[in-house]
Amino acid sequence: MLFTIFLLGLVYALLIAVLIAAGAGAVTIAIVAAGLFALQLFTSDKIALASMGAREVTPEEAPQLHAMVDRLCVQANIPKPRVAIAQTPMPNAFAVGRSPKTATVCATTGILQLLEPAELEAVLGHEITHVLNRDVVVMTIASFFASIAAFITQFGFFFGGGFGGNRNNNNNNGFFVVILVSAAVYVISFLLLQALSRYREFAADRGSAILTGRPSALISALMKIDGGMARIPQRDLRSASSELAAFYIFPPKAKQGLTNLFSTHPPLAARIERLQRLEAQLQGTA
Amino acid sequence: MGFFDVLMGRRKLAQPAPDRLFAMSTAYVTMETSMGLTSRGTAAIVFQPLATADFESIVRDMEEVVRATASDSGTTVTSSDDTYGFRWLVLRGSDFDDLVVGINAVSSALEAGGYGDRVLCAVFGFDDDRRKRPVYWIYNYKRGAFYPFAPAGGSEQRDNEREFVLKAQIGKELPVEQELERWFPLWGTPI
Repeated sequence: MLFTIFLLGLVYALLIAVLIAAGAGAVTIAIVAAGLFALQLFTSDKIALASMGAREVTPEEAPQLHAMVDRLCVQANIPKPRVAIAQTPMPNAFAVGRSPKTATVCATTGILQLLEPAELEAVLGHEITHVLNRDVVVMTIASFFASIAAFITQFGFFFGGGFGGNRNNNNNNGFFVVILVSAAVYVISFLLLQALSRYREFAADRGSAILTGRPSALISALMKIDGGMARIPQRDLRSASSELAAFYIFPPKAKQGLTNLFSTHPPLAARIERLQRLEAQLQGTA
Repeated sequence: MGFFDVLMGRRKLAQPAPDRLFAMSTAYVTMETSMGLTSRGTAAIVFQPLATADFESIVRDMEEVVRATASDSGTTVTSSDDTYGFRWLVLRGSDFDDLVVGINAVSSALEAGGYGDRVLCAVFGFDDDRRKRPVYWIYNYKRGAFYPFAPAGGSEQRDNEREFVLKAQIGKELPVEQELERWFPLWGTPI
């Protein structure tokens, strides 16, 4: 984790150095980028909720969901966030908002139907930990420089040709170096951001386990939501054995090295592994 | 299985892994004292009966030997075939160690007769203080490992959370199957 932060810092320092060296339009770019940053920070929650078709619900409309969030907030010692429900069969839950005061926790109707109460509580614990850790702010700030870099890259592509005509060669070369470096910065910081996001997911899993005291409930919920490889089978041993004996078809251990690099969430197997370790610690057998 | 066996499509059934069944005798103490599990006094071994004279005579001899030893310790033995075509040899008795020894006697007899690859699993039934339903520890002979199976209400539902808690609680006292995709359930167990 420290290594990731270090790399992020390094990349940003490089970017600033190059910007100063280039010296062209840096002030304008900074002002526009700051505006975008503020916009992102203050409206991302509303945009996310609207894109999911989520609607805030009152305690009368969803008493059980509210009661669950109430208990978790008492445990976590944070003010109660708004609670929303999105009408979609896809099982999912998310939290948005800059601070615990302005946060909204949203669950889809799909997840409400799919999970047992204990499992739903574990998932809400995960989302409330995101609020508690201020992950929205962390990720927005972390992506600030990536946004600047993206902006410069676009700026360069749109106006690069126009500037080329009435400038001498030296300046022109400098300009293209800025564009190239910005593009590189964007790509690298994108990958580092994903790594940061994966770390925050692990942290939220851990936070949920501490809040609810039931890491195994979260494992169970994750397996239900994902339905992926690490799932405990429902098929009977006796019906499975003949088939398995015949062809030995087991889910291949997918080579996930590269996909891991690009995903915002850690692979399910890794999350389950860590939660199992937490449960073992809880039981005193680790 | 060698390269040429794969090429020619010849394959053999996997042989049993080194026997770790007896880990259950010691783990049982922990289950009863600190995990809220008490034996239902039942255990079963599940195998695939072959319709050969040789195999049937082995099974007959084996059942008799188990019955003879079982009657000394007050354990009873019943045998039944299920809808999947597997035979369940169910042992009932108050002494848990006797159950483990009995199960081991059956699997040893089958192995001695060269039919070790026909043994599917051993099952131990427990009453769970924290739930109304029983939980089972299933021993997979091919893997030499145990895994928990906690049926839940409804048809063919299982309580994954309870299973993970049991796995964590037993810790290293029992060789637990690490690959979750091999935690196959046994629906409708007769024990």
